[in-house]
Amino acid sequence: MGPRQDELDDEIRGHLALSIKERIDRGEAPDAARFAALKEFGNVTLTRDSMRSVWRPRWFGAVEALGRDIRFALRSLLRAKGLTATVVITLALGIGANAAIFSVVRGVLLRPLVNRDEDRLIYIRQSAPGVGFDNMTFSMPEIDDFKARVKSIAAFGDFSTVDFALIGLGREPRMVKAGVVSGTFFEVMGLRPVLGRLLNAADDGPQAVGAAVLTYRFWSTSLNSDRSVVGRTVRLGPRAATVVGVLEPSVPYPADTEIIANVVTSPHHLGATMVTSRTHRMTELFGRLAPGATLESVRTELTAVHTAIKREHPEAYSTKADVQLQVSKLRDQISAPARTILLLLLGAAAVVFVIACSNVANLILARSVRRQNELSVRAALGAGKGALRRTLLAESLVLCGSGALLGLIIAKPLVAVLARFAARFSVRALEVTVDSSLLWVAAGLAVAAAVLLAYVPRLPSAHAPGGFGLSGGSVRITPSTNRRLRMFATTQIAFSFVLLAAAGMLITTLIALQQTNTGFDTRRVLALDVPPSAPGVVDPANAALYERVTNRISALPGVQGVATGMVVPWRDAGLLGPPGKFAVEGYTPADGEEPPSARLRPVGARFFSVLGIPLLAGREFNDGDRSTSEQVSIVSQSVAQRLFPNGDAINRKMWWVGSPLPGSDQPQVRRIVGVVADVDDEHVIGKPMFTIYQPLSQRGITNRIFVHAAGDPYSLVPSVTRVIRELSSEQPIARPATLEDIKAEVLSPDRLNAFVLAGFAGIALLIAVVGVAGVLAFSVSARTREFGVRLAIGSTPRSLLLGVLSQGAATVLIGIVAGTIGGYAFSRVASSYFGDIGTPGAISLVGAAGVLIMAAVVASLMPAARASRVDLVQALRSE
Amino acid sequence: MTKPSDDKRLELLQGTLDMLILRILQWGPQHGHGIGQAIRTQTDDLLKVETGSLYPALHRLEKRGWLKAQWAISEANQRAKYYRLTAAGQAQLSRERDKWSQLVDAIGRILNPAPASKE
Repeated sequence: MGPRQDELDDEIRGHLALSIKERIDRGEAPDAARFAALKEFGNVTLTRDSMRSVWRPRWFGAVEALGRDIRFALRSLLRAKGLTATVVITLALGIGANAAIFSVVRGVLLRPLVNRDEDRLIYIRQSAPGVGFDNMTFSMPEIDDFKARVKSIAAFGDFSTVDFALIGLGREPRMVKAGVVSGTFFEVMGLRPVLGRLLNAADDGPQAVGAAVLTYRFWSTSLNSDRSVVGRTVRLGPRAATVVGVLEPSVPYPADTEIIANVVTSPHHLGATMVTSRTHRMTELFGRLAPGATLESVRTELTAVHTAIKREHPEAYSTKADVQLQVSKLRDQISAPARTILLLLLGAAAVVFVIACSNVANLILARSVRRQNELSVRAALGAGKGALRRTLLAESLVLCGSGALLGLIIAKPLVAVLARFAARFSVRALEVTVDSSLLWVAAGLAVAAAVLLAYVPRLPSAHAPGGFGLSGGSVRITPSTNRRLRMFATTQIAFSFVLLAAAGMLITTLIALQQTNTGFDTRRVLALDVPPSAPGVVDPANAALYERVTNRISALPGVQGVATGMVVPWRDAGLLGPPGKFAVEGYTPADGEEPPSARLRPVGARFFSVLGIPLLAGREFNDGDRSTSEQVSIVSQSVAQRLFPNGDAINRKMWWVGSPLPGSDQPQVRRIVGVVADVDDEHVIGKPMFTIYQPLSQRGITNRIFVHAAGDPYSLVPSVTRVIRELSSEQPIARPATLEDIKAEVLSPDRLNAFVLAGFAGIALLIAVVGVAGVLAFSVSARTREFGVRLAIGSTPRSLLLGVLSQGAATVLIGIVAGTIGGYAFSRVASSYFGDIGTPGAISLVGAAGVLIMAAVVASLMPAARASRVDLVQALRSE
Repeated sequence: MTKPSDDKRLELLQGTLDMLILRILQWGPQHGHGIGQAIRTQTDDLLKVETGSLYPALHRLEKRGWLKAQWAISEANQRAKYYRLTAAGQAQLSRERDKWSQLVDAIGRILNPAPASKE
């Protein structure tokens, strides 16, 4: 648009030529004429620029000026490399952390699911707060009632999980987790196949042909995306099934399974217990809203139906359990567990951002005080407030832009770490990827920071009395600047303190968890899953097989003992359900007292010696305890002490009231033959839990083997596997691990929590230390003259050093007090939204304070040392 | 200096330069130097337009479509840009002339009040 640069030049040249010619014609000498013409013309460049600017749109001037300011900013920042690097790195940490967290939050909490019309997809949950059950799922009779009565749900889908031994895909028989679903499931979920077909109504019922769909993850990772698997017939435990298709990638909910099969593949699902028992709950329930129905209307109708069902079958819903129904969108249900932790992390990231910004604000403020001469000169030369502000804005834009760029580089790997972390809480985190939203967040934060920072320094004003002067040769801090500097430093300390205290709390908890004595011999015991090929089926042949297996394994070199069981401590927490009620001869509950309840743990012979649980009285189970022999049990120490304070628990008779195990028989009277120490196989930090053990041979199904090793437990894995394979080539073997490693695995969410928060706290601490050091260094350099005077009138360098140190300590102390008050207030507010967050104990508070004070002393040392070394003569001359 | 001294020279009134340029170009196409010279000679050196104002003004008028530019060889034997009045420019000139004479008239009435209006 408009004339080109050379045309403008030509026009001016033409003018000059005419002007010279005219003068020569008048008789002037050529050189003088040329000189006079140029002089008359004036500023060539300026004229050319204003000619050009005629043709430009109005905003062009502003942009061009900003560009000039940015170039200027780049040059002047390159001269202050230390400051620039500090600011850029600080901002990068703040922006990177926030962008990464936001990516994860967006991926896990905000992004829609791939399911068709996912916002009409609901999840129905039955809970029993009275007995501490958050999600007790549904039984088939309950689901049938809902299907028959509820009108506002177009279709229900149900899903339950079983373990199958899968034979026919790959070489080895393998244990797979399978979802067993009715024919409506995939239609309700709104999912599509990537290969073949999914299950439909024709696959429903006991007469259908066995059919299974592979999940995308299983197909692509374990089967190398082999397209020929579709149509193949495989064995799932005792039944056969045809692989009919592969499911598209989707959030694996409620369980991350390898296959999803129809009901006919699972003998258990066809059994009478499953079909008729109202309390046999193992099925999760989904629904798709009917046209016109809303989440609210569905919730109302479902609750009404549920209330009616409860009234009709009081025996299945005890008043104590207080069974309730919850209805939520599937998306919310999936992200619910991650919500609190992610929002807390987002808060932590925001805190880091605040700290980073106030630190940078400090540095910028200090810099602007140093630049007051430059700014005053420019103001005196006619630069308006806008122009000066623009200079500052350009500088902070450059700083924040580079910070954001570096932050993005940090954010990318951070997203990967955080996604792995969040995957512990929500399966959706597995699909979190780095996308453009990261860029937008970083850019937004950078601009926000830049604008904020540009308005931190005060501009020189001609009117303000006692403002910036042109005369002063050295830096002076006005009281208000000093206040601002200290305010920012205190803010940083306060926020860092909160983060440090929180991280300290998590770390102390973690250390306590890791050092706790669990009561098991965790290092020497190897646990293996050796599930029967089909669940829920008691097969006498199986029992015989396990007996042979244990015998053969105990004969292996390096094995000190072998036992069987149903529950691997911590890993299988919750597998056997809630405690059951029991009665015992010689103990009568007081009036109105509920009968005592205890966990039931069927275990094999020699279980206690193999797992290292001390036997306190009587005997442990041995090979003589068979299904046909006397029914016996062993109680934990807490049961014995609580019910028989006189120590006469042995030989008492006890029996279960109700049925603590699915599909159990009539209550049988058992004789207590032993008392063992308390262990808690559900929590690493155990409470003395009432536990009653009984022989596996008398009830239960063996599916776990424990091997006590003399040396390294893992060196036994190959020989143990070989022994089992020799006896049964179809027996799956899974997850061999020592109890120590299982404990570590169970604790890993805690460890990750502590790790991530400690990371944030570390970043915050680093920034805060830089901030305190920066403020002190600046105040020392600004007080050089004052120090000189003080030295001259007799102060010792030592007292100057102490003065600066105490100044640093004071900032930190004020920050800590503010942080304590603010943090306490925040935790009160937060716990009303998120439930109990926990307050850090004295150790973590004192620890955090100690770390901060030490950091402050270290940060003050350098400026303090400089203050004490001020050269008297130079200091006094400096002005 | 043979010319009238600088203190005798008049400051150009804000906004009148455009009108002067348009008026000069009524006699025919002219380059920037010529326009400047014409203003100077026709006012006997009382008005002198700075090149720093003249050229941006020429470009402004060209942008608004009141002038049309053409390159030609000048009497100094160099490429020069000649400006020509367009029809729109002609119309603009008469508008500005009207406004100007109204303004002069109005100011004149205040400075030299007519005796009749004194009653």
